Amino acid sequence: MSIRSLLRALGLLAVGLFFLFPLFWVLMMSFMTNADILRSPPSLIFEPTVSNYTSLLSGSLASQVGTLNVDYVQNLMNSFILAAGSVVLSLLLAVPAAYAFARFRFRGGENMAFTILSFKFAPPLLVLIPLLGYFRQIGLTDSYIGLIWVYQLITLPLVLWIVRGYFEDISEDVEYAYRLDGHSWWETFTRIALPLARPGIASAGLLAFIFAWNNFIFALVLGSSRVQPVTVGALNFVTASGIQYGQIAAALVLSILPTLAVALYAQRFLVQGLSLGAVKG
Amino acid sequence: MSSLSISNVNKIFRSSNRGQVHAVRDLSMRIDDGQIMALLGSSGCGKSSTLRMIAGFESVTSGEIRVGEKLINRLEPAARNVAMAFEAYALYPPLTVEKNIAFALLRNKESAAVIKRKVAEIAQRLEITDLLQRYPTGLSGGQQQRVSLARALIRPADLYLLDEPMSQLEPQLRATLRGRIKEYLVEHQLTTVFVTHDQTEAIAMADRIAVMDGGVLQQYGTPRELEDEPANLFVASFIGEPPMNLLAGSVADSADGLALDIHGEGEPIRLHMPQGVHSDAMHRELATDRQVTVGIRAHRMLVGEQPAGAASAGDFVARVTSNQWLGDQSHIGLDINGNRIFLVTENPLDAHTGDQVRLHWPVEHLHVFDSKSTNALFHGGVPRSSAATRTPQTSEALGA
Amino acid sequence: MSYLQISNLSKSLGRAEVIRGLDLAMDHGEFLVVFGPSGCGKTTLLRLIAGVIKADGGEVAIAGESMAEVEPEHRGVAMAFQSFALYPHFSAFENIASPLRADGLAEREVKQRVQEVAGMLRITNVLDHMPKELSNGQKQRTSLARSLIRRPRVLLLDDPLRNVDAKLRYEMRIELPEVLRQFETTVLYVTQDFKEAMALGDRVAVMLDGAIRQVDRPANIYRRPADLDVARLFGDPPMNLIPTRPQRHNGGGITVRLGESVLDAPGCPERLLDRECVVGIRPEDVHFLDSREGDCLPVRLEAVMPLNVRTAMLVTAPGALELTSSAWDIREARDEENDTAVRIDLNGAVYFDPDSGQRVQ
Repeated sequence: MSIRSLLRALGLLAVGLFFLFPLFWVLMMSFMTNADILRSPPSLIFEPTVSNYTSLLSGSLASQVGTLNVDYVQNLMNSFILAAGSVVLSLLLAVPAAYAFARFRFRGGENMAFTILSFKFAPPLLVLIPLLGYFRQIGLTDSYIGLIWVYQLITLPLVLWIVRGYFEDISEDVEYAYRLDGHSWWETFTRIALPLARPGIASAGLLAFIFAWNNFIFALVLGSSRVQPVTVGALNFVTASGIQYGQIAAALVLSILPTLAVALYAQRFLVQGLSLGAVKG
Repeated sequence: MSSLSISNVNKIFRSSNRGQVHAVRDLSMRIDDGQIMALLGSSGCGKSSTLRMIAGFESVTSGEIRVGEKLINRLEPAARNVAMAFEAYALYPPLTVEKNIAFALLRNKESAAVIKRKVAEIAQRLEITDLLQRYPTGLSGGQQQRVSLARALIRPADLYLLDEPMSQLEPQLRATLRGRIKEYLVEHQLTTVFVTHDQTEAIAMADRIAVMDGGVLQQYGTPRELEDEPANLFVASFIGEPPMNLLAGSVADSADGLALDIHGEGEPIRLHMPQGVHSDAMHRELATDRQVTVGIRAHRMLVGEQPAGAASAGDFVARVTSNQWLGDQSHIGLDINGNRIFLVTENPLDAHTGDQVRLHWPVEHLHVFDSKSTNALFHGGVPRSSAATRTPQTSEALGA
Repeated sequence: MSYLQISNLSKSLGRAEVIRGLDLAMDHGEFLVVFGPSGCGKTTLLRLIAGVIKADGGEVAIAGESMAEVEPEHRGVAMAFQSFALYPHFSAFENIASPLRADGLAEREVKQRVQEVAGMLRITNVLDHMPKELSNGQKQRTSLARSLIRRPRVLLLDDPLRNVDAKLRYEMRIELPEVLRQFETTVLYVTQDFKEAMALGDRVAVMLDGAIRQVDRPANIYRRPADLDVARLFGDPPMNLIPTRPQRHNGGGITVRLGESVLDAPGCPERLLDRECVVGIRPEDVHFLDSREGDCLPVRLEAVMPLNVRTAMLVTAPGALELTSSAWDIREARDEENDTAVRIDLNGAVYFDPDSGQRVQ
């Protein structure tokens, strides 16, 4: 091995360690008792325990002071419902809109698209205070529908802008050809445009899922324990008797798993090369 | 401005996942000061790699490249005093077209007035005068290409390298600019190497052409040499539009002179050269039944009655399959025994699809190739001499 | 009544008027070539005829029926695109079968017809390939097969040979008319290559700046271009265009001055006498002579360009005269470039008005 590749390997190792170490530590912490975690100096050798996981999943946390009921599994379900629901709604709305923005020229088109993007720039807290008032009036606080609706502020612009780019990259000639073959506009959209934009739709959906899953502030303000996702649920581990680090770590590990799974699944749709060689090479 | 010599140059690309690619194999050639050379071939033949090695953007795996007497292998591109027009234009976006072109002259510290004049002159030649104050981003591909060319040509350098210099130009502009560029290069005696896949362009512009295939030099010669004395079947069919008519055949038994049978549907057509200087030489070389490919260029066949004095290898009747008049020449497709050939005449030919036409094949324009090795054996009855032009083997023969 | 009738068509894209007041008529079964440089609006014209974009004004009619309210999928028009436009996620077979699927044909008939067309275009062996596995030539043929399989009323070909190698381009230029003839369809073929225009069209329509300048048989356009722009475009090497002023010679005939020489101009229209005009001379009418004997115009040889079968030579003469001469056969530059001459044959010359650019009869 030459010096160059040795140095490169070392560099990669260093960068890798830097990024992965916190994850690794959290993973370790999830198998330690609180006592082990707080020991000083910190030690890598310990007696692993699954008590953190069992208490999470069973819903009761035992601590020095007493037991606390935390419905972690329910929180996990909520995260999933909220994130998936938001993504599905965004896809249904934004994909056809993206096609319209990409293909049709209409007055104010660019302005409209940019306005939608600007939703992402709005500081959430600014929006939340008035929104809380409205939600109370309509009775949407503490509901899945209300949160999924608000989550569109995060997911809709993302899907719209990513998918629009992919539609723009598809040569119009391919769609014209399909029309001239005798197919209607709708058939062209579903059988040509959508399949060819699939990598974009998949990556947009994936990103939107991750952003929605990680959201904290909307759910905190507009939801309650019934609909709270894991991000808000983590607050429960800050108890009167102290912070249950072991259980937080276990909760973190469990909450990363779904997004990881979705990413791995969606990966095969993230194919390179949109034109796929069907136009002049 | 000096000569360029390339000696036994090899380029091997190594990549971890694809193994190695021997892009250029044992290439040797030379052009003299002030001459124009074309590197011609299809994509992947090694011509661009060769150009990049001369420029210094690729290292030379083995061999030497010299400009004049100076060895330039190890020099940085900037130190080689070589001007290059890139296929991807590589214009500087923040500068106007005029400044882009003038950039090349800044080093020389000439007065602004002189620079302006030179830029105006070359802009006029390449028809980009009205683009001088515009910026590269707004220009079409063809316009950008011309600017890139202007920038390369205006620079004083020892060697000029042009990578597909006219690929983006429209057909009619190409015709005009071919002449202007060649005129400029000849006038200023610029030693030039350009890369192209268009044999029409190579033939029009270059003093010598290096035809490459699979990294191997097939032949290096003047346009006329490539036309009239192609080294092998690849060169014969690559050069020329329409391509050389090539027909499979074999040597037939004949007591008197030489006979070649052209295969096809039905009875073979016999070409016969009665005893005489040329036929005897060929007769000695070619054993009976040897598989050969016979070639004749489209514009070398004669139509109608045999003209007096021209030795004909054969005359036969062919059936017309197409007739296209192109203004200054006529392209006629013919069928001989199921073989498709092309005829080009200076004037329109009154012949419609299905008509019969009488053809003569003059001996002096007949080419005979060995079918297996694809190498040329005889041109016009004269054995191919390897001293006149290079006869490198094809990549298959090299066994690599 | 023409089969394809285009009347006063206009279309703007953004602020640019791409097509303006365009008129064109085609007969049934005709092969018409629309020839023009890039940017003249050819592709927009084809899209308007196909109906995939809507015109701003004017009308397209096929077989007497206006296409104003007819969607593209119902016009009976097929198009082969310059970029091939194959469906990347369908195999070559499915690409070609696509029009038949729209018609809802039975699988067996689809198979049979695809095989038939693929056979004519010699791509049966790659039918199961995906587009990215095909060479450019194969992609072009697949695209053609797809447009032909439904036996369209009108076939639009958008510069189909542009993105194909020079070698293959020549073959297909010969093959294409033969294949198309078997389909008996009305063909509109768009190209920038004047050789294709000459070779392929029954008639050629020269298009510039969004309008048609001249429609005629190719040989007629070649011999008598309608204006200076057409003259510049139609020819390779391009026609020599020299400003001059015809005078009446003492003997009665009209002469023109080229550079410092005066030549007889038998075909010059009388009304151009004593007026500035431009004379157009084809390079093959400028005969290159190796020596300066006899009746000739002495010139200096500047550049020699072999062009496959002919050779173009750039020559200059005193009086700032620059000419292109085209000779039969390949020549190479010789050392004595100064002892050359040309003899110009003005029998076929054409004359243009310098202001309007129009040819003068």
